[in-house]
Amino acid sequence: MDASQNTIISAKDTDNEPVLAVRGLKKAFGANVVLNDFDLTVNKNESVVVLGRSGSGKSVLIKCIIGLLEPDAGSVSVLGQDVLSLDHEGLDHIRMRIGFLFQSNALYDSMTVRENLEFPMRRHLKHMSAADAEQRIKEVLSNVGLGHTIDMMPAELSGGMQKRIALARTLVLKPEIILYDEPTSGLDPITGREISTLMVEVEKKYHTASIIISHDMRCVKITADRIVVLIDGRAYATGTYEELKRSTDEKVKQFFE
Amino acid sequence: MSQSTKLKSFFVETGAISKFTGWFFHEFLRPRFEAREFLRQCYIVGYKSLPLVGLTGFIMGLVLTMQLRPTLVNYGVEARLPDMVSLSLIREIGPVITALIFAGKIGSSIGAELGSMRVTEQIDAMEVSGTNPYKYLVVTRVWATTLMLPILTILSDTIGLYGGYLGINIRGVMSMDLYVNEVLHTVGFSDLLPATIKTFFFGFAVGLVGCYKGYNSKKGTEGVGLSANSAVVLSSILIFIIDLVVVQITDLLGFN
Amino acid sequence: MAKQIINNIKLGIFVIAGLIILVTSLYMIGRNQSYFGNNITVRARFTNVMGLTKGNNVRFSGIQAGNVKSVHIVNDSVIEVAMLVEREFQPYIHKNAIVSIGNEGLMGNKVINISTNPIPAPAVENDDLLPVKKEVGTNEMLETLSTTNDNVAVISQDLKQTIKRLNNSAALWNLLNDTSISYNLKISLLNIRSAAVKVNQVATGLNTIVVDAHNGKGTVGTLLADTAVATDLKQAVNHINGASAEADAVIARLDSLIGGIQKDVNNGSGTVYTLLKDTATTNKLTNSLDNIEKGTAAFNEDMEALKHNFLTRRYFRKQEKAKKEAGK
Ligand SMILES: Nc1ncnc2c1ncn2[C@@H]1O[C@H](COP(=O)(O)OP(=O)(O)OP(=O)(O)O)[C@@H](O)[C@H]1O
Ligand SMILES: [Mg+2]
Repeated sequence: MDASQNTIISAKDTDNEPVLAVRGLKKAFGANVVLNDFDLTVNKNESVVVLGRSGSGKSVLIKCIIGLLEPDAGSVSVLGQDVLSLDHEGLDHIRMRIGFLFQSNALYDSMTVRENLEFPMRRHLKHMSAADAEQRIKEVLSNVGLGHTIDMMPAELSGGMQKRIALARTLVLKPEIILYDEPTSGLDPITGREISTLMVEVEKKYHTASIIISHDMRCVKITADRIVVLIDGRAYATGTYEELKRSTDEKVKQFFE
Repeated sequence: MSQSTKLKSFFVETGAISKFTGWFFHEFLRPRFEAREFLRQCYIVGYKSLPLVGLTGFIMGLVLTMQLRPTLVNYGVEARLPDMVSLSLIREIGPVITALIFAGKIGSSIGAELGSMRVTEQIDAMEVSGTNPYKYLVVTRVWATTLMLPILTILSDTIGLYGGYLGINIRGVMSMDLYVNEVLHTVGFSDLLPATIKTFFFGFAVGLVGCYKGYNSKKGTEGVGLSANSAVVLSSILIFIIDLVVVQITDLLGFN
Repeated sequence: MAKQIINNIKLGIFVIAGLIILVTSLYMIGRNQSYFGNNITVRARFTNVMGLTKGNNVRFSGIQAGNVKSVHIVNDSVIEVAMLVEREFQPYIHKNAIVSIGNEGLMGNKVINISTNPIPAPAVENDDLLPVKKEVGTNEMLETLSTTNDNVAVISQDLKQTIKRLNNSAALWNLLNDTSISYNLKISLLNIRSAAVKVNQVATGLNTIVVDAHNGKGTVGTLLADTAVATDLKQAVNHINGASAEADAVIARLDSLIGGIQKDVNNGSGTVYTLLKDTATTNKLTNSLDNIEKGTAAFNEDMEALKHNFLTRRYFRKQEKAKKEAGK
């Protein structure tokens, strides 16, 4: 089945200026072909949700974008630069402008919450004063509602709290593009909604573009400007939440039930 | 079939470790230097290991003295006890036992720590926040183990010699002054220097193997446990191999 | 933050403690091996250094004074040993101080002993060459002893033959007219006598030592009991005993011979003349006398050596004491 037949072109109010473009991405682990000719474009100020079943390769996709995994074929261009051809320094430079929320949070468990948030800052914002840094940390922590945990160790926090700290760590650098890997998994519906709203607020406030990977349809509904359905390693369908919800395609419909 | 795959995986592993080592030498002199993390690791690796290493050193000195004593008494050369104890402690037992204890304590903890960081994607997280995780995690730890083990060994030797002194005085009488004098008279540069130099290699091996195993840990808790375990096993073997090589070299150089 | 600083302080203490221990022990070892500090070099030349190597201790009158810096071969019979000696010893070591190689303990390392010479001399200077003393080892002593035995045996053989000849010929008057020969003969006889007495003394002395050794008495006993040395010594003693017995017999015979000859000469008859015609015999006799003299001298030397050897010294001292007491 040709993917383009099921593609529903969206007509959203974004500045049709792509900040991130993935073309013909291929990635296989041995015989296990995960991504096969995957295409994706994210415009400025746009939030794109990638939907897909577990194990379909969503995490692999965003790791390829940020250069943690090297794709077998295809091109990845972020903020006008070809990620795959960058050397280490160039990659560091572009990563400074990208936020990445790990599915597993990936908090540094030997460091306090404060040190966790400081860690990316001490790299990227070398010239920031200590007071400004402290100010920034407190700000993002209160954004995720965890200001009181600043001196705690990650192990002392619940799973949901850890997720929120991880989100705070992603936001602390005020990146231009944010890649969220399941930002609301493991959170109660209320917190999940708060986080989703926060994500939208951040997008508006700092004009960020984002790729959001989520199974949580409430979150998808709040955050998505556009949805890409990842099936068999391809962008099987694209559209707004409403468009896809009305889709008659069996495989797409399953996600909205 | 399985024999040849085993052989193959052995060479693959050896190659990977060599590459990992090469990577260390590629990175270790380049900025940026993670001074704070390095100091933190030195504290953990060195200072925190001192009680354990000191205790084992003390017991080694005491036990060695008590074990050697009857034989020397038989030959009527009981007065040579300080010589025997100090030579065997400083040349061989001190460095090797300390290194083995160190491998057990530090090698495994580095393997487990980096392993769990790998598994929970903390290493990836470092990489995306613009920190070279190899520099931040591996270079600092390898430096710390390389520089701290010699100091631990010196302290352990000292404590072990004190244990030897007590061991002598359990059954006989010897003044501290005489004991120290005898020890200093017996031990020469050619005993102390090769023994100290080899501890740098021991420390390097322990740190590097721990980091390699952790850094390349397989997914899952089992992978972490395996990293810790194989880090200890491999670094202990390497300690003996290095010991063997060093003894050959010092022999060739005529220091023996 | 504060914790971090405290940790760093602890780490600093830890590292500095380790380094201080390392540096001080290196320094102390170095000082012990005279690597640093104020030293002078003195040299000595040996024919045999008996396993002495670089780093062996140098003692001055028993005090640790330095160590051996190098041992190198000058030519096939000269080995030069350079020693580092602490400068504080310099005023006490004189240019004629005697250097010898000894053992550190029973089975210890070789050690160089510098001992003072009673004859006054200026203090050593850097790079001076000091005289050496040859240490007499047990083996060498036994060797000289056995050579002496051989000599005595040969001599007595010669004597026996000579005496046979003399017995067979009564024509000795011409010989006896030659006053120098008769004088020599008399002296020789005296020498032989005193030698025989000494041989007897040594023999009994050695016998006691050997018996003591077999019974395991004293350090000598420990060393000698059941060893090849003991056997050697015993053999030596047996030889000496045999030799002295022979010498006694020779003397008795010579005594009677001379008595006979004198009678012959007094009577103005006999066959000494025939004998003296045979110049070969005369030569042989003179040779024998020479040999006896030499043998006695060698024996005396051996006796001196024995007196100074550590094994037998004690015995001779005792003897002297006993003599003194007997004199009182
Ligand atoms: N490092 C790796 N080595 C080998 N296979 C991998 C690796 N990472 C991912 N895979 C495989 O790639 C496939 C996609 O994995 P991925 O983590 O992208 O799934 P996902 O879409 O994120 O699923 P989930 O929603 O459960 O997180 C899986 O089959 C997985 O086995
Ligand atoms: Mg995933």
